[in-house]
Amino acid sequence: MSRRAAGWILAVALLLVIGGLAWWWQAGRGGDRAARRGADEGAAGAATERHAFDLYFPAGGGGLRSERRELQVSEAPKDRIRKVLEALLSGPAAAPAAAPRPSSTGAAAAAPGESPAGLVRPFPPEVKLGSVELSADGTAFVDLRWPDREDPPESGSTEEIQRVYSLVDSLALNVPQVNRVVLLWNGTQRITFSGHLDTSRPLLPDRTLLAP
Amino acid sequence: MTELHRLVLLATLLLALPLLVAAQIGRPAAPPRGPAVVLDGRELAVPVTITPGGPLFALRPLVDSLGGQLGGDDTGESYNLKIEATEVVTGIGNAIITVGEEIVSLSQPPVRGEGGPQVPLDFLRKTWGAVSGYSFDWRPEESRLIISRRESREIKVTLDVVHLQGMTTVVLQFPETPRYRINQLPGVVEVQVLADRLAPPARKKVEDSLVQDVTFAPQQIRIQLVPDAEAESYLLDNPFRLVFDVHRKSAAPVPVGPSAAAADLRSSTRTIVVDPGHGGTETGAIGPGGVAEKELTLVLARDLEARLTQRLPVRVVLTRTDDSKLPLDSRTAIANQNKADLFISLHLNSSLGSGAHGAETYFLSSQASDTHAESAAATENVSGAAAPAPDSGQETQDLQMILWDLAQSHHLAESQRFAGLVQAELNQALELKDRGVKQAPFRVLMGAAMPAVLVELGFISNPDEEAKLQNPAYRADLVEALVRAVGRYLEAPQVDRRSTPPLPPPQGAVRSNPGSPTPP
Repeated sequence: MSRRAAGWILAVALLLVIGGLAWWWQAGRGGDRAARRGADEGAAGAATERHAFDLYFPAGGGGLRSERRELQVSEAPKDRIRKVLEALLSGPAAAPAAAPRPSSTGAAAAAPGESPAGLVRPFPPEVKLGSVELSADGTAFVDLRWPDREDPPESGSTEEIQRVYSLVDSLALNVPQVNRVVLLWNGTQRITFSGHLDTSRPLLPDRTLLAP
Repeated sequence: MTELHRLVLLATLLLALPLLVAAQIGRPAAPPRGPAVVLDGRELAVPVTITPGGPLFALRPLVDSLGGQLGGDDTGESYNLKIEATEVVTGIGNAIITVGEEIVSLSQPPVRGEGGPQVPLDFLRKTWGAVSGYSFDWRPEESRLIISRRESREIKVTLDVVHLQGMTTVVLQFPETPRYRINQLPGVVEVQVLADRLAPPARKKVEDSLVQDVTFAPQQIRIQLVPDAEAESYLLDNPFRLVFDVHRKSAAPVPVGPSAAAADLRSSTRTIVVDPGHGGTETGAIGPGGVAEKELTLVLARDLEARLTQRLPVRVVLTRTDDSKLPLDSRTAIANQNKADLFISLHLNSSLGSGAHGAETYFLSSQASDTHAESAAATENVSGAAAPAPDSGQETQDLQMILWDLAQSHHLAESQRFAGLVQAELNQALELKDRGVKQAPFRVLMGAAMPAVLVELGFISNPDEEAKLQNPAYRADLVEALVRAVGRYLEAPQVDRRSTPPLPPPQGAVRSNPGSPTPP
């Protein structure tokens, strides 16, 4: 072996040793970060499964009617709350994408935005789900966001009841940890939602609205 | 050293140098003396991050030092912090937290950082500060947070005693929530303030048939009852109030029975307050033909006023007579100020989806707030969320609100009876689809000190009914049905208030800590 070759071998060996040490040191720090993040996030990467939920959509005639939907959820209540609400806001199956027109055209004809099953998405597509929280006493806090609209849509009382209780009933009757719901609009709790229902306090589910 | 050795050494140094430099870049510099958190003169190991929005403090070590239990949810998005009996829910990246049942905004959202979740200064003040009495003094020039236990507060208390229809209501109002315990003794109710000191109101003599006296000591309020009286307590918030309903143990019927009602009908003119729904910028529902609910309700209300005064010995007051926006609470306030016998809120409906039509009549739901039993049994409070201090003019209004709340609970049975009459008349006269008598937590019905209903006279979202409602003859039929319902209601004896089934709690009542011990 020539001296030149021996030099190269030694240099590479040392380089590998030093590089390995540096990598180990950095990886250890990153591992610490990952461990901390993992501890904070709990079961963020928890296994999910498909689970059936009954989503309560506004229905023709003025009440609510359920549509069974399978959603990919984890065991975490907040994950289920969010998934249920997102599915609800996206509207019933096969519903036209257009925002519903809050009017009826008689019992025989479906209103614009109505699904073949006679169900309607509760809110226009511009309404998005903000944060959700769940307190230990079973109160779910749901923030609906439509930044361009200071107030929720004007409506009659039945329409307002359909909107609000589609959320309340879908959560309270699907997620056992939810007993009642506080509804926020753009991060603010309102005295009434659209001029009728008192939303300044938690709302309990109302089964009388559900169609048989 | 041979040339070979020199060569190897040189190569090693040249190649290792960049790696060492890179490694050093990643290593945090030796920290200068940075922000500190001090509790009772002792520095705590609490990581602090200085941000443009203010300092953020690691939550976990603060929990260890200040007390509490911290748990994360399954997603890692939020944390539950339990301080004494108060549950705090906070989420990473969310500037809104809940403290008990209160929704609280933060100056900036919690973040993940060194030591786990980090929270802003106002988080500490609104949680440990409000609940446990800690004070948090951030000194930016020193980058130090000084934590200390707050001294005992002096809390001003005001007293109101009102006698109404055989019952006395004693209201103790506080600018901020005290820690207290209620002791019910024979003939006496004691409010024991646990940590704070009371600044009593000016001494005034209580002249009441059920309450002999109310006396104040630095940490005790004593309500002396007459021998055969007893008291029920509950609390109201914003501002915080302890309310005691005092009545005779024998629960003698309030004089509103059949004979009294008949005598009233003969001897006095009844007052009916008619409320045209919505108004101003609040249009209410808009029909497919463009008809606004607020316009038709005003027309219907004026027609109803005219018919009622023609047909019945009544005085009619409209809550609005033009296209103006009127807060919902002001509508019932008008009814109460006029000592109305009935409150009728007129509305027109809309629905999502097709096929909705017909009329329905609502009265206040028993779900309008939490259970009365829990509120009435509230005997101890360990929550410390501060309430804003009322201005002087607010106090009278708050007291009025209490009375309205109380009276409304007594009137629910009458509201149900009147709603049934309205619905029956509408069904009979118009052959509308009977959507029935319903209950809902409608704000406009809350606080009315008389029987109160909200009538939905049809769906203007339904083109057929929208067209009908624009027809004066159809509206006249609707109004006539309402007049008949009012007439039937006034003719019939009222329900004995003392025989009514359990009623919902007064509006505004909030549940006290359910876990609080109940005194013997």
